Amino acid sequence: MRRGQSRIRPLQSRGRRAVVAFIAIAAMLAAGEIALTVHVASRNAHRAPMLQVAARQRTLAERYTKALLLDRTGAAADPDVLGRTLIASAKALLDGGTAPEVAGDDDATKLPAAQGREIRAQLTQELRLANDLVATGQAWLAGDQVDTVRLTAGEHPDSTMPAERLRVLTALTSNVSLNAARSIGASTDANTASTIRTQIALGIVGLLLSVGLALALMVAGRRQVAHFRSLVVASQDLVLIFGAQGARYVSHSVEQLLGRGQRELGGWSFFECVHDEDREPLRNACLHADRRTIGFRLAAADGAWRHLEAHVTDLRDDRHVRGVVLNGRDITERVQLEQELTHQAFHDSLTGLANRGLLLDHLTQALARTRRSDHPLAVLLLDLDGFKQVNDSLGHAIGDDVLRAVARRFATVTRPSDTLARLGGDEFALLTEDIDELRAGALAARLLDCLTEPVEASGRTLRIGASVGIVVHGRGDHIDADDLLRRADVAMYAAKAAGRNRFEFFREEMGERVGELLSLEQDLRTGLERGEFTVHYQPEIDLATDAIVGAEALVRWTSPTRGSVSPGYFIPIAESSGLISPLGEFVLNEACRQVAAWREQCPLDPRFTMWVNVSGAQLSQGGVAELVQRTLETFALPAAMLGLEITESVIVEEGSAAERAQAELQILHDRGVRVAIDDFGTGFSALGQLRRFPVDVLKVDRSFITGVHDEPKDAAITAGLINLAHALGLLAIAEGVETYEQLASIRELGCDLAQGFLLARPMEPDRVRELLLSGTGLVI
Amino acid sequence: MAAAAALGGCGSAPSASPTHGAVIGIGERDFHIQAPQHITAGLVTIRDHNAGPEKHELIIVRAASTQLPLRSDGLTVDEDRIKPRTVVSIPGIAPGHTQDTRLRLPPGHYLLFCNMAGHFRGGMHTELVVS
Repeated sequence: MRRGQSRIRPLQSRGRRAVVAFIAIAAMLAAGEIALTVHVASRNAHRAPMLQVAARQRTLAERYTKALLLDRTGAAADPDVLGRTLIASAKALLDGGTAPEVAGDDDATKLPAAQGREIRAQLTQELRLANDLVATGQAWLAGDQVDTVRLTAGEHPDSTMPAERLRVLTALTSNVSLNAARSIGASTDANTASTIRTQIALGIVGLLLSVGLALALMVAGRRQVAHFRSLVVASQDLVLIFGAQGARYVSHSVEQLLGRGQRELGGWSFFECVHDEDREPLRNACLHADRRTIGFRLAAADGAWRHLEAHVTDLRDDRHVRGVVLNGRDITERVQLEQELTHQAFHDSLTGLANRGLLLDHLTQALARTRRSDHPLAVLLLDLDGFKQVNDSLGHAIGDDVLRAVARRFATVTRPSDTLARLGGDEFALLTEDIDELRAGALAARLLDCLTEPVEASGRTLRIGASVGIVVHGRGDHIDADDLLRRADVAMYAAKAAGRNRFEFFREEMGERVGELLSLEQDLRTGLERGEFTVHYQPEIDLATDAIVGAEALVRWTSPTRGSVSPGYFIPIAESSGLISPLGEFVLNEACRQVAAWREQCPLDPRFTMWVNVSGAQLSQGGVAELVQRTLETFALPAAMLGLEITESVIVEEGSAAERAQAELQILHDRGVRVAIDDFGTGFSALGQLRRFPVDVLKVDRSFITGVHDEPKDAAITAGLINLAHALGLLAIAEGVETYEQLASIRELGCDLAQGFLLARPMEPDRVRELLLSGTGLVI
Repeated sequence: MAAAAALGGCGSAPSASPTHGAVIGIGERDFHIQAPQHITAGLVTIRDHNAGPEKHELIIVRAASTQLPLRSDGLTVDEDRIKPRTVVSIPGIAPGHTQDTRLRLPPGHYLLFCNMAGHFRGGMHTELVVS
């Protein structure tokens, strides 16, 4: 185990302290036992000479008496020596010291002081009796009255006869000495017995402690085993031990992890559940421990793959294990999350298609393959037509539904090997390999066909088209992915310019056209900022009175680099680029400012109307009513002096964009702003819509006026349009009147107003002011 | 010892139960026996206390005096010969110990003595009159 890793020590803390306490107590018991043994042995060693001397006293007392009797009979005896020895020995026994030698018997013996109250009392009594005996003996030897000798031991001999008296005293001394010797011996025996009992007790305590220690160790061991077992059993990790016969142990967690039983994965069966790609590396790791960590997949009972990350520990040399231990952790959720994140990083969250990053990656790889082979690839760039209006008018939620629906349809046309991507907005791309121009065109046609059916989104039926740019690339040309996409973009732009809902192959010359369009857009933007735009005005004449009753504001652009640019050229670019809004606002503002000036400077016809063109894109974006109202207030203009010209297409279109445009116009119309339908007759027939729209004037398109005097059909149509206008209570204006014949014809047809080069060209405001001031009619 | 003597002086112990009779306190020590001289006949408890320091015994015999037959050693009473008169023989009591003995004492003269070697002749005897 490495340093720093936690270890589980079964006897740590309380267990270890218990063992230490056991050992300490056992050691103390052993030490106490030894000390006690030494002490008792030492005491017994001293008791032995005491016992010997004490026993000798009995003999000495009797020998003393005999010596007295012998001495009285004149025999050679030395009772005094024996008497002194008797007393000295009694003293030595009581208080310690040297017991004198007894001739022919014992040597002088060194004794300790007597211990124990009973023994000391007996030895004290012995000493008194010895003194009484010897005193009596000495009195007798001296011829004194023995019964006058003062006795100290409490005895009262019943005879006054010296011999009898000595006999009694000798018997008492002897008896007391014998009892003292017995007491000393008994004390020694008692000490020995006590020592033995103590030692037995200590031994029993030691035995109990040993048994306790053993039990404690057993309990600790079992706890340790139980602890590890519970860890393994409760662990979420998968633990396996491999031996020569495969998996020898499979942890309980496998049931929760895989829904399989422990037995099911025993032996070699385990490897059958392992993913084919992971099986051999894992087998080598489990059998040979040839690596420290390994990742693999296991099949769960329900067929799902679980991802595991495992540590391999080689414990084949560990006699407790004898195998390779695999400790696996379930990382399925982490892997899935990583896959999810990876998918999110390379896929469009809205449609689930590849995103630009993944497309570029695949495209780069495909280009590399193309360089190695003769198989060309193609990139198809698809831009939805009219999607912007859907998004603007119906909201992003429906726009998103449309994008998802379109993505699903595109997916039905593509091959699994193709990469279908959403690049952003309403722009899609398809990368397909091993394809030529013919098949690429067919594929583009299929993509367009799949949009033929209307798209259902939030209960609405929407028609969506697409413009497709195609670039086919072979091995010859060295080009990177970005350039290839750019070429497809150019081709797509060309398809849009060519009328939409079609496809175009990239051609080198397209680049120039696209470059021109992009340049024009940039110049437009700059021109707006620099004030390169001006407004000219083309008067409108009342055919009944020849009075100037209005003027159409027409924007003009004089670029410092391009010179005068035709509105027919830059207006579409302004519409597609979104610049139409600031441009329209500029024209509205300028026209209102101008008519307000004329109003002060000139006598205007009461019906005078300043007509400003408003594009469908502006109206559908909303905000026009508010802008117009604000502008009118700015220049203090009556609403009736302003008219908005809208194209026929605005009222023809269906859906919410048209509804919003209608609502905007209705608000303005209610406030007095006039509304004219421009270029009427060229668009789709929408008479029903015309009825619902707040319209005041119909402008008959110049294409009909051109032949009104000599083309019966044009004359008939013009007559019809004028009649229609009148039938609806509207005024009719003839546009593009350039000849007197045309003027005469429209007058004859009852047209109300006219506008055209014959009457007045678009002109600068000062020229208009002069005309207004002159008060002269324009028409002869 | 004083307590035993006091009890002995009264002839009966106030605390003694009626069934056990009077408690007769006997004090033995080297070499003297202290006991009441007169007690009432009947059931009594002999409470013999040995004050030591030697071991002592207590033998009670019917006797009018201290004249008892001795063994051949001339030091100890011949217990065989006085057996018919012996009321009780309490073997050796260790110093500091007390022993109770219940017995019925008819009226008469009694001698109490210790018969350990030399003790009787050394003065360990006393007379008791039971009436």
